[in-house]
Amino acid sequence: MNRPLAPRVTRALLLTVFSALFVLYVAGPVAWLVSSSLQTEAQITQVPPNWLPPTPSIANFEAIFAASDRVVTYENRRQGEALTSNFLPSGAANLLPAMRNSLVVGAWVAALNLLLSVTAAYAIAVIDFRGRRATLYVALATRVVPDIALVVPLFLVIRNLGLINSLGALVVTYLAITVPFTIFILISYFEGIPRDLYRAARIDGCGHGRALWHVYLPLSLPALVASVTFAFLTSWNEFVFALVLTQNVAAQTLPIIISGFIMDFTTSFSFVNAAGVIAIIPPVLMAVVFQRYIVSGLTAGAVKG
Amino acid sequence: MARITCAALTKKYGDVVAVDALDLEIAHGEFMVLLGPSGCGKTTTLNMIAGLEEISAGRLSFDDAEVTWTPPHRREVAMVFQSYALYPNKTVRENIAFPLRLRRQPAAAIDSAVAAAAAQLEITHLLGRRPNELSGGQRQRVALGRAIVRNPAVFLMDEPLSNLDATLRLSMRGLIKRLHQDLKSTFVYVTHDQAEAMTLADRIAVMRGGLIQQLDTPEGIYERPANLFVAGFLGSPPINLIEGVMAGGTFTRGGWRLALPNPPADGRSVTLGLRPEDVMAPAPGMARLDARVELVSPLGSETHLDVVAEGGVKLTLRVPKEWRAAVGDQIGFGIDPARLHLFDRASELRL
Repeated sequence: MNRPLAPRVTRALLLTVFSALFVLYVAGPVAWLVSSSLQTEAQITQVPPNWLPPTPSIANFEAIFAASDRVVTYENRRQGEALTSNFLPSGAANLLPAMRNSLVVGAWVAALNLLLSVTAAYAIAVIDFRGRRATLYVALATRVVPDIALVVPLFLVIRNLGLINSLGALVVTYLAITVPFTIFILISYFEGIPRDLYRAARIDGCGHGRALWHVYLPLSLPALVASVTFAFLTSWNEFVFALVLTQNVAAQTLPIIISGFIMDFTTSFSFVNAAGVIAIIPPVLMAVVFQRYIVSGLTAGAVKG
Repeated sequence: MARITCAALTKKYGDVVAVDALDLEIAHGEFMVLLGPSGCGKTTTLNMIAGLEEISAGRLSFDDAEVTWTPPHRREVAMVFQSYALYPNKTVRENIAFPLRLRRQPAAAIDSAVAAAAAQLEITHLLGRRPNELSGGQRQRVALGRAIVRNPAVFLMDEPLSNLDATLRLSMRGLIKRLHQDLKSTFVYVTHDQAEAMTLADRIAVMRGGLIQQLDTPEGIYERPANLFVAGFLGSPPINLIEGVMAGGTFTRGGWRLALPNPPADGRSVTLGLRPEDVMAPAPGMARLDARVELVSPLGSETHLDVVAEGGVKLTLRVPKEWRAAVGDQIGFGIDPARLHLFDRASELRL
């Protein structure tokens, strides 16, 4: 039997309205970022704002890719009136190298994070050894300390190791952030795999390495994908450590360079927004490719713990 | 091909002793069943033989080689689990081939071995499927295939039939027995099901509390139970246990007296065991038991009678289906004293 019509309509209406509000809230800034990246500086700063680009233009993106061909000085940075035309921040040429740095660091962090976490999680979840729980708790406890408290000590360590201004410094630091969480997610996942499969694998002829390779990894694909995504995104977005540990363009990453544009002589909204669009492309691509794994991977970690 | 020797095999979890200094020698080619209620240590014993549980103390040998510390993948054992434990991401073919692949056997040899095992288990048509497309019985056949394809020296089975329904269990029992006859390997089989134990075993080790209560052939266990626990664990319906004392060379309980062939000393507190099927029509030279029928349960092939005998003793008896008894009937039964079991009530041991 159907329920009365009126309550059903009200319910559908409420759901639609609140879903729309939520989407607007979450996606609004991203939409504005994309829209404004296609507008000129003058159009961006108009009041009331142009929600859609009046005359869509990829000039901002052209500026980014052409930035390395020109030298920006105080004299020539202004290519017209600030309110009506575009101009380049002084560090514009660093944008593409910084993106390359971000990709290199992200790739190393994602790969090493997986290697370290998978082996550690397998040992803690599967092998019965004294102190296995304590190992996990200590690893997780390190993440309770706020990053900002670690910045100065870490800076000293990295400097004494001679790693300041190197991508390696960032990789090592980010691994310290991602590995404990990844171990935690993978342990829950591994513990959800029936113990008898482990026993069967050992009897069939697997040592620990092969049991991990032939049984645990194929059955944990969603968790592995979630781990890779998590590690890459953490590395891609990280700001505080990158700011302190890298001091020139040889090792600076995208967040540092882009934030530098805002602190320049004058802020070029059009250029910054175009850079922002480029900065979100790799994570968005990653999310699209992996999306069907990510959700199940994260919930699997969340349900058991 | 292996003889398995457990010498004072012990497993402790903290202060809990799961298996207590177990001594057991399993002959080459023997079908040994470890039987007992849950928590008796039978699965722990099996896992120690497999290498899946670390041995706390004692010594384990296959033939004359000690394997106490050998990891499971270096012991030539195959195992079948109650949960089947098939790799869900692999097809049936890949599941069966897996142990051979790990041993880096040539592809042609693997293919023919898998084909032979599949034919023997009648699962050739399933080779391309994945475990989640199979029924429970089919899965357990695949698990058996994965075990026999290796031609192992020792077969370990941990309640392999417990997840199957009754009819399937019966046919799989036959299959396992035939496998043992064909392969002539050493089988160690864990179960809590007395029917499986009785039908499959060459010898049964009845376990309780980490200790072997009795080690004997199925007939020996049933006909001469070593103690009250073993007597009560095997037999369906269970053995009737009647407490009484010895007086003048006879077992007495209330007004009921029963002359025994080799009576223990007078005054001893004893428990008399009477298997439900060990009653017959009264005949000369037999002890007599008069009882009133309280409940009649016809099973078709036989009939179970719940009766109350002299002295208020309640018994369950198995009688041929031709016995037409009705509730309230007073019936006289004949008992062959030689078939009675007598236990000391304090020690619970057979007298």
